[in-house]
Amino acid sequence: MNQQVEQALEILRSGDPQAVERAIESLQSAVYSFGMKVCGNSHDAEDTAQETFIRLARSLKDFPDARALAVWLYKVAKSQCLMSRRKSKFAPVEMLSLDELMPQHQTGDGGEPRSWGVTPEQIVLDRESRTRLERAVRALPKHYRLVLILRDMEELSAREVAEVLGISEDTVKMRLHRARVFVRNELEKHFRKKPAPDLHPTAAARKDDAPMRRNHA
Amino acid sequence: MPDRRCKEIFAALSQYLDGELRVKDCSELKRHLRGCQPCLDYIENLKTTIGACRQFPTRQAPKPSARVRAALREAIRP
Repeated sequence: MNQQVEQALEILRSGDPQAVERAIESLQSAVYSFGMKVCGNSHDAEDTAQETFIRLARSLKDFPDARALAVWLYKVAKSQCLMSRRKSKFAPVEMLSLDELMPQHQTGDGGEPRSWGVTPEQIVLDRESRTRLERAVRALPKHYRLVLILRDMEELSAREVAEVLGISEDTVKMRLHRARVFVRNELEKHFRKKPAPDLHPTAAARKDDAPMRRNHA
Repeated sequence: MPDRRCKEIFAALSQYLDGELRVKDCSELKRHLRGCQPCLDYIENLKTTIGACRQFPTRQAPKPSARVRAALREAIRP
C-alpha cells in the first residue's frame, strides 16, 4: 500500500488534533496526484480529491484498519475520475496485444534494443523525459493505465490493485506487464532520438526547477 | 524473439522482474538471457521504466477546500 496514504489515514482515524492538519494536506496531495495521473487534468483531479474527501469523512470509522480504508479510498477516487465529464485528449485503443508489443529484433535492421544508459532518477528529473513518461502513461488504454498507476506509481500490491479494480490478480499481472511494455516502448522512441540526459541528479534538480515532488506524511 | 517459447518468455518478464517467477521458469529465462544482448538491454530498459514510474514525483496539490477540512474535522471529533 502507498505509505503516504496509509499513514495519513492512520493519523486521521486516531483523531490526534496535533497531526490532523498535516495528514489532511498529505492526503490531498496523494489523492490529487492520483487524479492527475488517471484523469490527466487539474480540474478533474481537484474535483476528484474534493468528492473523495467528502465521502471519506462519512466513512472514516467504517473500516477495521487504515489499509482497508486506503483500498476503499482508491476505489472511490478511481470511480470519481472515471465519472469526470472532461475527457483526456488522448484517445487510446482499448486492447494491447502482446504480439504487437513484442520487439522484433531478429530482423537485423538496426532496430535492436539498446540500453538507454539512463537511471530512473535521471528520467524523472529531466523535464522532457518526465513529460514523455507522463504522456506514455496517459496514452495507455484505461484498464491498463489504472493497473500501472496503482501498482507501479502508487505502489499497491497486486492483491490490493485487484481489490480496488474488482478483477483477479492474474488479470492485474497480465495488464501490468502489457502496460509496462507499452510505456517502455514509448520511451524507447524518445531515447532513440535523444541522447541520454547528461545530468547529475543535483544539477538536474537545479536546472529543471521541477514543479513536482514526492511528499510524505 | 520469433517463436512461441520466446513469446512465453516475453510474457513472463514482469513477473521475473517482480521476483514472482517459478524457479524453473526463472532458470530457463536466465539461460536464454546469457546469450542475448538485445534481450538484456530490453529488460534493463523495462526495469528503468518501472523504476521511473515508482519514482514519479507527487504533484503539488492545491490546498484542501474549507468544506473538506470542515467535513474531516467533524468526522474525527470524538
